[in-house]
Amino acid sequence: MSSKSLTLNSVSKRFGNVTALDNFNLEVGVGELVALLGPSGCGKTTALRVVAGLEHQDKGTVLVADKNISDVPAHKRNMGMVFQAYSLFPNLTVEENVAFGLQMRKVNKTARLKKAHELLDLVGLDSQSKRFTHQLSGGQQQRVALARALAFEPEILLLDEPLSALDAQVRVNLREEIRRLQLSLGTTTLFVTHDQEEAMSISDRVGVMNQGVLEQIDTPDALYNKPASAFVAGFVGTMNRIPAQIADGMVEIFGSKVVALKRGNESGHVLALIRPESISVVANSAAPNAKVLARSFMGASSNIICQTADGTIVQSLMTSASTGDLHPGSSVQLRVLSSEVLVANA
Amino acid sequence: MKFKFHPALAITLLILGFFVFVPMISAFEYSIRTPAEGGYGWNNYLWAIREEEFLYYILRSLWLSGVTVLITLFVLVPTLTWLHLSNSKVRGLIDGLSLLPLVIPVVAFAVGAQIAFPDFVKDTVLELPFLYFVLALPYAYRALDIGLNAIPLKTITEAARSSGANWLRTITSVIIPVIRGSVMATIALTFALSLGEFTLTVLLHWDTFPTWVTYVAQENILGAIAISMMSLIIPFLILTMVTLFIPERSTQRRK
Repeated sequence: MSSKSLTLNSVSKRFGNVTALDNFNLEVGVGELVALLGPSGCGKTTALRVVAGLEHQDKGTVLVADKNISDVPAHKRNMGMVFQAYSLFPNLTVEENVAFGLQMRKVNKTARLKKAHELLDLVGLDSQSKRFTHQLSGGQQQRVALARALAFEPEILLLDEPLSALDAQVRVNLREEIRRLQLSLGTTTLFVTHDQEEAMSISDRVGVMNQGVLEQIDTPDALYNKPASAFVAGFVGTMNRIPAQIADGMVEIFGSKVVALKRGNESGHVLALIRPESISVVANSAAPNAKVLARSFMGASSNIICQTADGTIVQSLMTSASTGDLHPGSSVQLRVLSSEVLVANA
Repeated sequence: MKFKFHPALAITLLILGFFVFVPMISAFEYSIRTPAEGGYGWNNYLWAIREEEFLYYILRSLWLSGVTVLITLFVLVPTLTWLHLSNSKVRGLIDGLSLLPLVIPVVAFAVGAQIAFPDFVKDTVLELPFLYFVLALPYAYRALDIGLNAIPLKTITEAARSSGANWLRTITSVIIPVIRGSVMATIALTFALSLGEFTLTVLLHWDTFPTWVTYVAQENILGAIAISMMSLIIPFLILTMVTLFIPERSTQRRK
């Protein structure tokens, strides 16, 4: 296995007045798939491009298996990369595209075509090997790009939003295929995406970035259940932000007192951060505190959107079976199901 | 698709026919006249081929044009690739500068070159390809520019580099094959312009095929026209062969 670990040490990168990376640190273990997630402009793509050698950092170092590669040019870094779209060479057939990296490494034609067919077989496209890339669908093209990136057994695989140009169903299939391949080949992978579902579903760990800084890096579960900051809480999954008063470490929400999980020096007027599944909506209550605005049915679960008396919009996620009585306009009672909630300064 | 004869097409063909084909056909008719015997024959062509200097000058013009094409590709492909990738503001400036040869009179250009160039440059006929390159620049530049604009250059370049191709391989194995049509147009334009260049060559006191033809015309006008007809056909054949021998790939476009 050629896979190696990846480390970024205090990497900074500015474009004019814009700070894309600000003392950015990241460690990816051997064989691990780490996703960088964040809003556009947060620096995640810059981080990936610095690793690939397509951008050069102003400060800091990039290490592969503890070897400093900061000044190694892109073509000598031995990293496979899959781009958003349209990155295949239109003058080459599918198999020639996949064999390109090996051709650049002076592997003889028989050996590199054999390897190309192995990889195409892995992505289920061996039957298309003689075709030109414009004869393939978007999803097939990205599979070929993936095969091309893996054919020369890279030390690191870099994925730059490889699914963002594809249809919803293709995205889901391909992301699972990427994960399956990545696990079976054991390739250390850095995956950049702005789609949290994508990041959470296939990654060992997810790093949430904001304004050039890694806000938190953790397993998808930990990120969802124990967000380290209000930004992460808001960015990962849906989060209700309900105005509340904090006193003696307790917040009062919908008439009941709940333990406040403080991250800093929050005090006085705060926002309670509560997941939709931690709020239940009770119909026909004696003490209604909200009105139902909308109910969207999603199969096993339903999303209920309510508005409290002070105008706050609250989302609740409940099993569809328990939402039969909830219609737009009906008066309901909201309840917090968890015994502790995160708070943030209002 | 059924072919429809559009009035605009008719007008274009009429103008083209009148100003291009009528003179050409007339010249051809003139070149096969045999005044001595009356009627038509290939005498003038046979005379031209038997002229000792015919081969010398046609070969000289061909290799000078070949060198011009190489200089053009060697200078312009990397430069334009860089300009497109860097997104720099310099690009607008260079775009404008590349048009200058169109507005500078060739006479001014030639006199300037004659005054300014040191002897070791003026002493070699190799000064011509470099000057031809400048004359062909507005056309060559635009032909390549269009090709590079039409492809996702940045992504393709980055994909090549991250697959292990250095800059040279990226240009030769990826960029040039992908913009093949543009490169062919550049070759054709530069080659044709260099092969027919007359003014600059005469002003710099060099002899090439076109200047030799005017010299011949003074003693045998029919022979000179026969030579000109051949000089039309020979580059045409060469360019056709170049186009045929570079294998066409990926011709079918997705509908």
